[in-house]
Amino acid sequence: MSKILIIDDDLDILETTGSLLEYEGFEIHCADTVEKGMEMIGTLAPALILLDVMFPEKKTRGFEAAAEIKSKYPKIPIFVLTAINREYAFNFDKKDVPADEFINKPIKIDRLVKLISNYVGGPSERA
Amino acid sequence: MQIPRLGSKIDSSEYTDLTRVVSWFILLRWIAAAGVLITLVFVRFRLGYPLPYTLLYSLTGVLCLINFLFTLYYLAVKRKNLSRGELAVFLHVQIICDYVLLFFLIYFTGFLENPFAYFFVFHIMLTSFLFTSDIVLIYVSSLIVLFVAAFLSEYLHVIPHYPLSGGVDPRYLRLYLPRAIGLCSTLTISAYLISNIKRRIAEKGRRVEVELNRYKELDRIKSNFILQVTHELRGPIAAMNGYHEMLIRGIGGKLAPRANELVHKANLRTDNLLQIIDEMIDYAYMKSEEEVRYVKSAVNVREIIDYQLDIHSSQAVQKNIQLIADCPQELFLHSNRDLLNIILSNLINNAIKYSPESTTITVYSDAVPGGSEVAEIHLTVEDQGYGIEPEELQKIFEEFYRTRKARELERDGTGLGLPIVQRAVECLGGRLTVYSELNKGTTFQIFFPAGGEDEQNSNHRR
Repeated sequence: MSKILIIDDDLDILETTGSLLEYEGFEIHCADTVEKGMEMIGTLAPALILLDVMFPEKKTRGFEAAAEIKSKYPKIPIFVLTAINREYAFNFDKKDVPADEFINKPIKIDRLVKLISNYVGGPSERA
Repeated sequence: MQIPRLGSKIDSSEYTDLTRVVSWFILLRWIAAAGVLITLVFVRFRLGYPLPYTLLYSLTGVLCLINFLFTLYYLAVKRKNLSRGELAVFLHVQIICDYVLLFFLIYFTGFLENPFAYFFVFHIMLTSFLFTSDIVLIYVSSLIVLFVAAFLSEYLHVIPHYPLSGGVDPRYLRLYLPRAIGLCSTLTISAYLISNIKRRIAEKGRRVEVELNRYKELDRIKSNFILQVTHELRGPIAAMNGYHEMLIRGIGGKLAPRANELVHKANLRTDNLLQIIDEMIDYAYMKSEEEVRYVKSAVNVREIIDYQLDIHSSQAVQKNIQLIADCPQELFLHSNRDLLNIILSNLINNAIKYSPESTTITVYSDAVPGGSEVAEIHLTVEDQGYGIEPEELQKIFEEFYRTRKARELERDGTGLGLPIVQRAVECLGGRLTVYSELNKGTTFQIFFPAGGEDEQNSNHRR
C-alpha cells in the first residue's frame, strides 16, 4: 500500500484529503508543520508527499520545504498544493520550485488520484 | 565640472525631449538666415538704405556656416543619446551664437533705429522656456549691459553708429533713449512672465502627479484588500468542498439518495462560489499590476489547450458538448502560462455555459503567416452557442457587466470573466477580437506576437 504524507497546517484539509485518499486505498500520514513533516519523512519513507505552500510562519514556506526535501530525498515525488494555482500570486517561477506537480485547492480527488497513480502506480497496484 | 551643473539647470520637465528642441532650433535658424538675406536684398535694392552690405552678407554667411556646423554635429550625435548635460551645453552654445550674431546684425543696421531689435524678445522667450530663472537672469542682464554699453559708446563716438537711413541724427541719445529703456524693460518683463507662467504650469503638473499617485495608492490598497479577503475565503471553501466529497462518497455512512442529491447540489454551489472568488482574485491581481511580475517563457500552446479542455471536460459532458482542439503538437509562444490558462479557462467556460446541448466547441491555434516570416499566433475559441446581442457586444468587456442571457442562465456571476481575459491579453501584448451571431455562435480570437522579447519580466513591474 503506497504511503502518502500530507503536510498542511489546515487540519480540515488534512482530514478531508486524508480520508478521501484513504478511501481510494492509500495509506495516509499527516503533519501540520513543515518540521514535523520533515521528521516523518525519515522514519516513514513515504512514496509521495503532498505539501501545502502557505504556512503561518511564511507565505512561501512550502516552496522552501520542497527544496529541502528534494535535496535530502531526491526520489520522493512532491505535489505542491497551492491555495490558488497562479504563479504570480507568489511571485515565483515554477521552474525554480523542485515540485513534481502543482495542485490547485480545492483538490478534485479524481484528478489527484489519477496524478498520484502516474507516480506511484495505479489503483490495481495499491493493495 | 561644468557640464552636470548646466544640465541640472535645464528646466524642461514638460519639454523633456531636448533633442527635438535642438533640431527645432536648427530649423528655425535656417528660416531666420533666409529671412535676413531676403530682407537685406529688399532693403538694398528697393529702399536703397546705405548700409555696410558686404559686412551684413558676411554675417549672414557666418550664421549659415555656424548652423551648418550645428546640423553636422546634431546628425553625428543624434543616435548617441547625449546626456542632458551635453545637450544643455550644445543649447547654450547655440543661444550665445544667436545672441551675438543678432546683436551684430542689429548694430550694423541702425541699432536702436532698427525695429528688428525687438527680435531679442523671442530669444529671451525661448531661453526662459528652456532654462531655470537664474540662467535666464544671466542672459537678460548680459544683454542689457551689452545694449547700454553699445548705446553709450555710440553716443560718445567710441564706436561708429550705422544709421538706417540718411546721416547720424545729432539728437540720437534724446530720440532713442526711451526706445533703449523700452527694449530693456520688454526683455526683462517677458523673461519674468514666461518664467512665472512656466512655474505655475509646473506646479499644476506636480499637483496632478501627487493626486494621481494618491489614486494609484488607493487602488492598490483596494486590490490588496480584495486579494486578502478572497484568499481567506478560499481556504474554508476548499475544506467545505472536501467534506462534501467525503459525504458524496459515503465516507462516514452511506447517504440516502435524496441526501446525496442535496449534498451534490451544495457541492455545485460551492464550486460556483469558488469560481467567483477565483475571478475576483485574478481581477485584483491584474488591477494591482505594478506588483505583479508575469514571467514569460516558451509555452507549448497545445499543452495548455489540452490541459484546459481536460479540466472542462466533465462540465462539457453534462451538456453533451464536444470539445475539440485544433492545434499543431509543437506550437510555442513566448508567453506567461498563468495568463494563457486564465484566458482559455474563461473563454472555454463561457462557451460551455452559453451553448445549448449537443453542440461543438473548438479551440484553434496556429501561426498567422505575415509576409515571409511568422508574425503572429492566433488562439481562437469558437462555439455554436446562443450568441451575443449586437447591442450587448460592445459592453461585454465592461467590468461587472452581465448579458441578459447570462443573468437568465445563471444567477451568480461576477461579470469579470471577459474583462479579465481582455486585461490578460493586454498584459501579453496581444489583441482580442470577437464575432457573434445570435443562435449561431460566438468566436473569440486572440492574436499574440510570435517570438517575443527575451526579457524575463514583461510589462509589469514596479
